[in-house]
Amino acid sequence: MTARVTFAAVLLVLLVSAPGAAPAQGPVPRVIEVSAERFEFWPSEILVAPGEEVELRIRSDDTMHGFRIVGAGTNLLIPKRGRGYAVTRFTGGAPGRYTFECSRMCGAGHNFMRGVLVVRRAGDAR
Amino acid sequence: MATTATLLAAARPSGAQDSEQGFPATGPLSGYMDFHFNKADGEDPVLDFHRFVLLLNHSFSSRLRFVGELELEHAFVEGLETGGEVELEQAYVDFLLSRRLNVRAGMLLMPVGIINERHEPPVFNGVERPFVDTVIVPSTWFDVGAGVHGELGAGWRYRAYVAAPLNALEFTAEEGIRGGRQKGSRANVRNIAYTARAEYRGLRALTLGASVWTGDSSFAAPRLDTGVTIGEFDARFRRDRLELRWQFAEVGIADAARLNDVLERSTGVSPNIARRMRGFYGEAAYRVWNAGAPRDLVAFLRYENFDTQFRMPDGFVPLKEFDRDAWVTGITYYPDPDVAVKADVVYLRNQSGLFPNRHLFNLGLGWWF
Repeated sequence: MTARVTFAAVLLVLLVSAPGAAPAQGPVPRVIEVSAERFEFWPSEILVAPGEEVELRIRSDDTMHGFRIVGAGTNLLIPKRGRGYAVTRFTGGAPGRYTFECSRMCGAGHNFMRGVLVVRRAGDAR
Repeated sequence: MATTATLLAAARPSGAQDSEQGFPATGPLSGYMDFHFNKADGEDPVLDFHRFVLLLNHSFSSRLRFVGELELEHAFVEGLETGGEVELEQAYVDFLLSRRLNVRAGMLLMPVGIINERHEPPVFNGVERPFVDTVIVPSTWFDVGAGVHGELGAGWRYRAYVAAPLNALEFTAEEGIRGGRQKGSRANVRNIAYTARAEYRGLRALTLGASVWTGDSSFAAPRLDTGVTIGEFDARFRRDRLELRWQFAEVGIADAARLNDVLERSTGVSPNIARRMRGFYGEAAYRVWNAGAPRDLVAFLRYENFDTQFRMPDGFVPLKEFDRDAWVTGITYYPDPDVAVKADVVYLRNQSGLFPNRHLFNLGLGWWF
């Protein structure tokens, strides 16, 4: 009897600690691949629904760039070409337009390097 | 094996687009350099520290920013450009109002062609910039002015400036309008020039551009009416290892016959300035080694055709030595994405039977930081 109880307890512990038994995660964010090169992001306009979480994977095609979402506290360095990518997540809050820009001097046209995250429901007027 | 920078930051905007956190801020010093070895047939080889450029930037706030670019050409300034030049190529303040409309004023790069606004050495193939972007579009072309720029959505963006005009009395048969740049140095603005560029980047691999510059450039000779207009189209395509570039530019000079007449009276020699100049080039580049720096090598081939005597005013005969074309082929090796080691050969031909064609061999080391 004691052996059965011990066996059941060990089995329970193993089941609880197994990877598949982890607490349920939230919905997987939509992944958006963004490329950065002098002096533009592509895409430069990204549509996000209110409340939706997206994962931005930003890869440079040339030098090191920056990625700042103005007013949102996000400011990343994007590694140089061939050295991986930067990742950030953005959750659509109040409908509106949220500017992002290169935050690391990248050349003569650096200030042109901007884009926008547009938070609105699909089908809403622009 | 490329690494992944997992810099996660949960950005949950609360409409705080005007947050000034982190401003004012002065950016780190940036710049680029260009060191060349040039060897032409029958001439001694030359080592030239062609460009030493420093870029400065300061953000007064998220919406108010300064950018400056100071260049030393040919390493040594002796006065009157005999040794080199110190040039203030950019010094402007941007008023970033909205995505669609921003205002810029100061010393501006003219938004004409591929190279003039994108001239860092790792950005283009070839030790020297394309001939068309030197003789027909006189890059680096900068002058004082003001204007607007922005993005209109769906991949469209634009800039439109007013600026100081060219000085037509400095035009030449060989280098076209290049000598006419006032470079923002006590520039005469009795007449104003207008310039604009539209770009389309609605497709991932393709960038299309069109530029125009127009202005009355005869302020130094009041009885002249030398309007100059430049039209330009360009395209860039990049997919996987392949990159293609194409550009066409044409210059129109009104009243060119009288301009030649005025200059001949003052110098005793007719400068033989054309009423139309034209140039175009196409370039194909292939990344033959694509494993990421330092295993990163591009091979390219470019054909250029440029004629600063394309159409002459009545009574003037074109000088065929200035009807030129060039084959340029070479490699660009990137030990780092910001460092370009370049080698190329140039076969430069002209249509005159009197002047020999030229072969050139160039080596270059350029870097951005």
